[in-house]
Amino acid sequence: MQRRVVFPHKLLPWLLLAPQLVVTLVFFYWPGGQALYMSVLQQDPFGANVQFVGLENFRLVFADEGYLQAFWRTLYFSFAVTVLAMVPALVLAVMADRVVRGSVAYTTAMLIPYAIAPAVAGVLWLFMFNPSIGVLAWWLKALGVDWNPTLDGSDAMWLVILASAWKQVAYNFLFFLAGLQSIPKSLLEAAAIDGARPMRRFWTIVFPLLSPTTFFLLVVGLVYAFFDTFGVISAVTQGGPAAATETLVYKVYKDGVHNLDLGGSAAQSVVLMLMVVALTVLQFRFVERRVHYA
Amino acid sequence: MQTSSSFLTLRRAVVAAVLGAAVALPATAQQRPIEIQMWMGLTGQGGELLTRFGEDFNKTQNEYRVVVSFKGQYPEQRAAAVAAFRAGNPPHIMQMFDAGSGDMMHAKGAVVPVSEVFKRSGMQFNPADFIAPARGYYGLPNGELLSMPFNVSTTVLFYNKDAFRKAGLDPEKPPQTWPQLIDAAKKIRSTNAAACGYTTTWMAWVMLEQFSSRHNIAFGTKGNGRGGVDASLQLANNKLLERQLQTLVDMQKDKSFDYGGRSNDAAAKFISGECAMLTQSSGGLGAIARDAKFAFGTAQMPHWPDVKGAPYATTIGGASLWVFNAPNRSAAEFRGVAQFLSFLASDKVMTEWAKTTGFLPATNSAFKAMQDEGFFAKNPGRDVPILSLISAAKGDNTNGYRFGRWTEIRDVFHEEVEKTLQGRQTPADALRNTERRGNALLRAFERTAG
Repeated sequence: MQRRVVFPHKLLPWLLLAPQLVVTLVFFYWPGGQALYMSVLQQDPFGANVQFVGLENFRLVFADEGYLQAFWRTLYFSFAVTVLAMVPALVLAVMADRVVRGSVAYTTAMLIPYAIAPAVAGVLWLFMFNPSIGVLAWWLKALGVDWNPTLDGSDAMWLVILASAWKQVAYNFLFFLAGLQSIPKSLLEAAAIDGARPMRRFWTIVFPLLSPTTFFLLVVGLVYAFFDTFGVISAVTQGGPAAATETLVYKVYKDGVHNLDLGGSAAQSVVLMLMVVALTVLQFRFVERRVHYA
Repeated sequence: MQTSSSFLTLRRAVVAAVLGAAVALPATAQQRPIEIQMWMGLTGQGGELLTRFGEDFNKTQNEYRVVVSFKGQYPEQRAAAVAAFRAGNPPHIMQMFDAGSGDMMHAKGAVVPVSEVFKRSGMQFNPADFIAPARGYYGLPNGELLSMPFNVSTTVLFYNKDAFRKAGLDPEKPPQTWPQLIDAAKKIRSTNAAACGYTTTWMAWVMLEQFSSRHNIAFGTKGNGRGGVDASLQLANNKLLERQLQTLVDMQKDKSFDYGGRSNDAAAKFISGECAMLTQSSGGLGAIARDAKFAFGTAQMPHWPDVKGAPYATTIGGASLWVFNAPNRSAAEFRGVAQFLSFLASDKVMTEWAKTTGFLPATNSAFKAMQDEGFFAKNPGRDVPILSLISAAKGDNTNGYRFGRWTEIRDVFHEEVEKTLQGRQTPADALRNTERRGNALLRAFERTAG
């Protein structure tokens, strides 16, 4: 016989869930439904002439040479941002974990970038790397690098990658640090007594035990790079030059807000929604299997 | 309907009264001012001045209260206005830049032509008061105006006199033709008088729209789109545009030209002294005069001397004021809109606006008033945009264009030109691609245009 806890109230669970449900409905399902609905319409911006066109907007999106290019560009951008945000964060977290005195001040200082809005972070980097007035651009030029993100597509791409990754390092750092601190000291001490050096202890004990954290940060990082980097791109390059930094989410914004192509923009959002679903399923199906939970 | 409209008026009036009281404006119970919302796309000096004009108007009467607000750059502001219109509460007046005009003209039901606004309000309005190029750009064939020209500009060449002197060039003789500009730029580079010879803002506006007008060549069918929404772009095999783009590509190699980004980003390269010459809207004068730490001069946009009849007139840029319609909008509100628009078109406001910002006076009488007080004699160079726009020769292709989705087509042109400057395609490819991609957008526009 299994013991079951029975709650007599039918209403109470719903009441407790209500705030979250309302938020989800209003901010996720409603706009999502709107996007689905608008993706099968073609209309003028003012809504005076609305036509049902079935899947034509989707056909147009996939027939657009720029769209496929934006897709591969987004993958490149997202992986670069995620890796560049995770590796330095892990190194810094390992360092911070060893700091005995003043670790709170050090940790706090590390967290500041996360509190900066993406657009502001973008503008900061834009100024530092501005070919005319930027201090870092000046150093690069002194080193003989022909730095020109206004015209050179890969310079522009690296600028938005660095600006986007920099902000996320702080977030990853915090999680890695918490992950490191939850690794039992006894394991590390036992390994040390057995003669394992710091590098070996890191790769055989720390890194595997950190894998749930790493996996979580990978998912969050990819989603961040896919969607939340819009502010950085908008502030730094506006997708240019020659669409070199136009990611999928920036294209949705540009076509919807700047160009007022509501149907095309909605169709792109729907494609993006499906992509996120696929990405998340893939990650949990295949990547998670290799993760060790302590 | 009646009750809801009077309720809204009442609510608006109460809000206005509360706001009025908050800024210590006397609002009696009998005279609650009606609020008139105007959205603008200007920042900096121009934005501050336009906001002040709203306050000045409020001081002249107490029936209406104009609120001028900045809602983002033109494209963002337009998206916000579209959303507000669909929600039934658009601003009364919206300032929209030249490239957005084609879209607004076909927004039937959303906008009320300015001539109509004045007619409904029983107020005098004569479109012929406005300067001819603006009238041609924002008007209908029957002479009525769709929107009211306000900040009117055209392309001019700004040049750094100090850099010219350093390079051994005559600072009082700016280049008038492209070959002269190329020579000057090369000289500036070879003497290292500046890090770059020449740059331009608004690539599509300057190199496609203004450049074509300057040489009286068409870049689209049906009178550059003025003949109907079924018009197309015609750019492939346009030899003169091809030559111009090739010139920029060649000059980019030794930085006698240096690409400075989209919109007016390149202005910073001129103001900082990095580039010695700049093609820019005449409305950019205010910022240059305020921030540049060197002597500068103004000249007309260069032309190619081998083109027959050139130089022709450049065409207008800047923005105009559109009046929105809405189901709950009262006759009194439209009357307030008309009064404020006529206040903005008055000589006093127009002359102050033109003198401070570098935009052209939009009305003939304001232009005459500035002439009469000797403004142009006292400020050499300030007549340059007027000479370029009004006095230069007119042709079939100097009246501007009228295409829908033009902001997007400008960006297509920007992308293709950037690709060309990166060396990834030829100027001919850029023009062919712009034509193909642009025409796809024009056909999509034609489908939903009312």
